[in-house]
Amino acid sequence: MDFGQYQNIVTISVYGSAIALILIGLYAVLIKKNLIKIVIGLSLADAGIHLLFVAIGYLKGGTAPIFSPSVVGENVTMVDPVPQALVLTAIVIGFAVTAVALSLVIRLYKHHNTARIDQIKSLKW
Amino acid sequence: MKNIIVIALLLVVGFYLVDSFNYIKFGDNRLGAPSDEKTVGAYYLNNTVEKTGVANVITAIIVNYRGFDTLGEVTVLFLATTGLGSILYRRRKEGEHEERVTKESSYLLQTGSKILFPFVILLGIYVFIHGHLTPGGGFQGGAIVATGFLLMLIAYKNFKLGHNQLTWVESLAGITFVSIGMWGLITGGTFLENSFIPKGTLNSLFSGGIIPIIYIAVGFKVAAELTGVLDILLSIKPSKIKK
Amino acid sequence: MVISPVHYIAVPLLAAFVIPLFAKLNREFVRIIPGIVLLYLSYVSIVLMNQVSSTGTISEVLAGWAPPFGINLVFSAFSGFLASLMTFMGLVIWIYSYRFKKIDDEPALKFYVLFLMLITGAIGIVLTGDIFNLFVFLEIVGISAYSLTSFYRNRDGAEAGFKYLLLGAFASTLILLGIILLYSSIGTLNMADIAQKSHLIPTSLKVSIFILFVVGFGIEAEMFPLNGWAPDAYSQAPGPVGAAFSGIAVKAGMYVIIRLIYTLFDIEGSFQFLIVMGLITTIIAEVSAMKQTNLKRMLAYSSIGQMGIVMVAFGIGTREAIIAGLFLMLNHAIIKGLLFLSSSYLVYNDDNKLISSLSGLGKRLPLVSFLFALGAFAIVGLPPFSGFWSRLYLLLAAADKELIYLIAIILIIAVIEIVYYFRVINKLYFKDIKVKSDDVQKPSINAVISMSILGILIIAIGIYPDLVTSYLGNAADALLDKAGYIENVLVDINN
Repeated sequence: MDFGQYQNIVTISVYGSAIALILIGLYAVLIKKNLIKIVIGLSLADAGIHLLFVAIGYLKGGTAPIFSPSVVGENVTMVDPVPQALVLTAIVIGFAVTAVALSLVIRLYKHHNTARIDQIKSLKW
Repeated sequence: MKNIIVIALLLVVGFYLVDSFNYIKFGDNRLGAPSDEKTVGAYYLNNTVEKTGVANVITAIIVNYRGFDTLGEVTVLFLATTGLGSILYRRRKEGEHEERVTKESSYLLQTGSKILFPFVILLGIYVFIHGHLTPGGGFQGGAIVATGFLLMLIAYKNFKLGHNQLTWVESLAGITFVSIGMWGLITGGTFLENSFIPKGTLNSLFSGGIIPIIYIAVGFKVAAELTGVLDILLSIKPSKIKK
Repeated sequence: MVISPVHYIAVPLLAAFVIPLFAKLNREFVRIIPGIVLLYLSYVSIVLMNQVSSTGTISEVLAGWAPPFGINLVFSAFSGFLASLMTFMGLVIWIYSYRFKKIDDEPALKFYVLFLMLITGAIGIVLTGDIFNLFVFLEIVGISAYSLTSFYRNRDGAEAGFKYLLLGAFASTLILLGIILLYSSIGTLNMADIAQKSHLIPTSLKVSIFILFVVGFGIEAEMFPLNGWAPDAYSQAPGPVGAAFSGIAVKAGMYVIIRLIYTLFDIEGSFQFLIVMGLITTIIAEVSAMKQTNLKRMLAYSSIGQMGIVMVAFGIGTREAIIAGLFLMLNHAIIKGLLFLSSSYLVYNDDNKLISSLSGLGKRLPLVSFLFALGAFAIVGLPPFSGFWSRLYLLLAAADKELIYLIAIILIIAVIEIVYYFRVINKLYFKDIKVKSDDVQKPSINAVISMSILGILIIAIGIYPDLVTSYLGNAADALLDKAGYIENVLVDINN
């Protein structure tokens, strides 16, 4: 794909949406009082990061970096494979963190009968 | 007031991020020419087929070039299940059984799930066995298998998972991964070295030496661990609050 | 099989996967296997440290791909020193926690697995030569730390754990952003390669990457203002885990910040930045420590203050200052370890862990109180204990660079520390006994052994500081030798 005159718009929209996701996620973490919403915020920020990862690996007109029989010997451009490998790791780690976070939310909810952070204040925040 | 401060702060952060990405144009060729590789990614693209015999470059990176990362990643998942088990541990009284929080679902959903379940598992297994040939691999396939189990967990309130079997699959897959790595250390001199199994021909199922074996082990491990996490999160009694 | 640095990672991982299976045979394996692994790793440490001092840095290639294409482990005198220290602390804490949990209980298995992985992750951070691999190990440390913090069900553990998790997840977001910017600008993840190519990055971008990394890893290293998790985590986690955090996990975070400044990025002013951050961290933490009524929180703030002083030492940047910084890290590990381990028994039966509840315990728990007092004397830097020498080296290093204000601040901090530690000792020994004799928890034999090892070490290093200074000198040389680090790792590429 050649973006031609739209290069700048595409750049801004791809990076912009990823960064917007990160910021929305951080906003939710900082402002929201509900523990579940905070965890959702974390996942959103993660999603933004993953999008950025894939975006920096992209190459104009690139295909998936797989040398399947139809591609071997042909002269094809392929996208950078490293960010895709890294994003897989990042996704799995994000999943693990989210799972632990949710289990802590369950325990907090059981302990305090509420999932609102402003009502859970045994420790100083 | 707090809202405004936070939004201002985030806008500043956002501005700096956007500014940083000005240096990095979307879709630019950062790989460099084949003779002048500018990133490690370019090296992988130019050499993977010849040196590892694996068609899917991403798989080669995940399992071989950066296989140590994957070992860590699998450990992170293992720790997540272990941590969940310890955080949500509840001492069971005599004769008491874990109960699932889901409601009994309709007959339609139950039958549908039962029909879909084997096919979902089959798809998952296909994805992780062909990880070195097609898009996909151990993590993706394992996740698909886990969704199959999730379907059953949601549809049947009394669907029992063998915790013993999960532990066995999880541990054996992990042991396989580390042992293959250690075997590489003994025979080839470096951990996870891909030298003691022939590389085979490109694009056939038996190619790539240890890569497909490790990816299959990863697939089993991920499937068992994701299923374990889902099971732990779903089988908590709604505590006394309900009264 | 030749002993190589990868054993530090592979053997504990194998053990962690094996433990759930062996537990089905006999529950005793659950606590014995981690001990065997840590003993073996101590042996590996001794062998490799000897090898390093005779032949120089070991750079191990993994999966047969030379860096920067594969991941590598670097066991230099510097990283090797930290890895050995962590292994040793792990072993001591394992002895302490041998009877920590009833072994037939399900959580006992989880505890030992998580504890072993906490140590492995920290060692991995120190040894790895790849920035993304470092992130993976950071997450291993993180997830085990969150779970261990909320290990006890009856306290506010979940809250402390959640707080820690939020900050940790925020940190990993920032680190990943840094990695994205780094990879897209120079196309490599290997740390030696980054060090070689970092001058190619535009300066403003380099500064952004540096800030992202420092903030991300600063959370693990207890740098101000990112240390909100520490007091809660230390006070809510089980006793041995608190010792493991201060002795092992925090060291790993500090290592990364040191690596970033000394090896990876050449940014003007980063040393001064480290001094300023260190001073702010230590002043705020020590003043907060004075106000604490909870013993564990007091120790936690004191721990943050100590890490601040370590930052100052590395910020000065001369060879002598690095030796002082490493000595401080060593002392912080063993002395804070001793303080955390012994304080667990002192406040065993008090849910709020109040200092006021210690009244007269010196007579009820003579040995534990003695060891606590020993640790307190050592940490404030009184001679003839080991803490004295590290403070002295730091002051000498500051005097060499003619940083008079630094010397003044460090001395004032020492006075503050004396005030709040002696308040506790005063309570222990010179107040009326309040508790009945059956209310105190007598230490088990293995706890006594592990605490005594640390106590003897404190006195031994205090009397013969030369025991460690030669190693520290080698470590400082290894850290300062940036060209040597790059050459060692990228040997195949450059030739």
